Amino acid sequence: MATRRLTRKEQIQQTILYPVDWIEERSGLVGGIKYFLFRKVPGDTNWFQTLGSATLTAFIVQALTGVILAMYYKPDPTIDPRTKLPVAYESMQHITNDLWAGWLVRGMHRWGASVFIILMFMHMGRVFLFGAYKYPRELNWIIGVLLLAMGLGEGFTGYLLPWDQTSYWATVVGVNLNGTAPFLGPFLAQFLNGGTYINSDTLSRFYAIHMLMIPGAIAALIGLHLYLVIRLGVTSPPWSKEAAGTGPLDGHTPNGAVGRSGLSRFRRGK
Amino acid sequence: MATDRITERRRVFKQYKEDVESRGKPFYPFAMFHDTVMSLVVVCVIVGLAIVWKYSTPGDHIGTDPGWLGKLYDAPADPGTFSFVPRPDWYFYFLFYLLRIFKWPDTVVIGTVGLPTVLLVILIAVPFVDVRPERRLLRRPVAIVASILVVVSMGVLTYKGATAKESLGTELVAKVPSWAKTQGFSNNQQALAGAKTFAVSGCLNCHTYLGVGGGFAGAPNLSAEGAKNKGIDFQIRHLKNPASVNPGSPMPSFAGLGETRLKELATFLEASKGGK
Repeated sequence: MATRRLTRKEQIQQTILYPVDWIEERSGLVGGIKYFLFRKVPGDTNWFQTLGSATLTAFIVQALTGVILAMYYKPDPTIDPRTKLPVAYESMQHITNDLWAGWLVRGMHRWGASVFIILMFMHMGRVFLFGAYKYPRELNWIIGVLLLAMGLGEGFTGYLLPWDQTSYWATVVGVNLNGTAPFLGPFLAQFLNGGTYINSDTLSRFYAIHMLMIPGAIAALIGLHLYLVIRLGVTSPPWSKEAAGTGPLDGHTPNGAVGRSGLSRFRRGK
Repeated sequence: MATDRITERRRVFKQYKEDVESRGKPFYPFAMFHDTVMSLVVVCVIVGLAIVWKYSTPGDHIGTDPGWLGKLYDAPADPGTFSFVPRPDWYFYFLFYLLRIFKWPDTVVIGTVGLPTVLLVILIAVPFVDVRPERRLLRRPVAIVASILVVVSMGVLTYKGATAKESLGTELVAKVPSWAKTQGFSNNQQALAGAKTFAVSGCLNCHTYLGVGGGFAGAPNLSAEGAKNKGIDFQIRHLKNPASVNPGSPMPSFAGLGETRLKELATFLEASKGGK
């Protein structure tokens, strides 16, 4: 038995910490999050190095708005006998014109796609100019290239879904262009169309690829991408006088004067 | 040599880890602050684009009139119409425009699939080709030149693709008499009717004819199609199913035009010998 009664403050602390400790004991997740948050990054990282997390943010926007759109969108090209419009087109119009803030969600998804792709290119440009793809980060560069290709695949498959003239004919020609590839081309075109030509199954096939297949792969690869970033660390800008990897600098104690004072300054709230 | 390089880069990475540990700063709150600000900017830009898209649409902000950022949506997909413009989203313009440079049919494969595949392979190969540890830009002249070339060429191709003109069928029909004069088929009623079908069926959104038309998807110039003397039957078969006579053709089928109009169109194409 306890030799003294716990103070009120200690009781509250214990109550709050109990579930955290419970999870930590069984998963080690709390330690993982702590490691993620308080891991050291080079002191000279700059704004250019926020492009990766900005790309992640754009992907999260796409995922969230995409889920909302999926609640109302119907990937069905058959003609509704009442309105004489394709059901898919009708549901897209309904989202845009009738639903509360539907235009905003669809607009964010439509323009978020462009922002996502621009940010992927900018992030890739930054990594290239910083030489950050070099040893030991080659694998992460390759994962990034695959993510870029998949992002473009999302753009291609998502473009068909509104089922209007622009999207339909751009996709007809786009799939035919894929079909011109040597060896795999005809199979790729056949797979995308769900047949020799674009047909009533094509739309639901594009929808499944667009919202299940590629996003699943992208999410998994982003996880791997981030794991490697955390494992290998972030590079210093190549022009930096105090770039990590050049050894101890004058005026710094070997064991972390900058890092510790930085952290304690934050803790004191300055 | 190679082992020296491997030992050296392992040493540098070990040094990097030690340096980060001794004089780095914790991710939270320093780097995370920057990341959070940037992420908020991204979300605001996306929301802003959505708002401009909606509220720059003329009238009561619904319908198919284009605003500053284009249409909210187009007319419903109709496989039976032919006056379409096969225009992809803007980030594929550079690929689409490449097709104009590579002429159908001999080299178009390079433009459509070859080049993107090659680009992808080059990108994946970058860290294996450039194995020097040097990261300072001024000492990487090849990297500088390559990145400038890539940015400029993608920018120019995207701009060209964005400004590629679409022609309206009604404007093109007005050109039929001058086509007939240049090509010398003014007395051929079948060819004249075919020329009108040609003008309104969206052919010129991909093909070029006597200096007009988009040529956007790299389709061949048809001004002198008749000079190849392929015959009316071939033209009809090609229009019905382009890939059957021209393997790998990305052109969609125009079988929906019906036998009469296909015959007229084929006559028109055969009568197009390139003019004077």
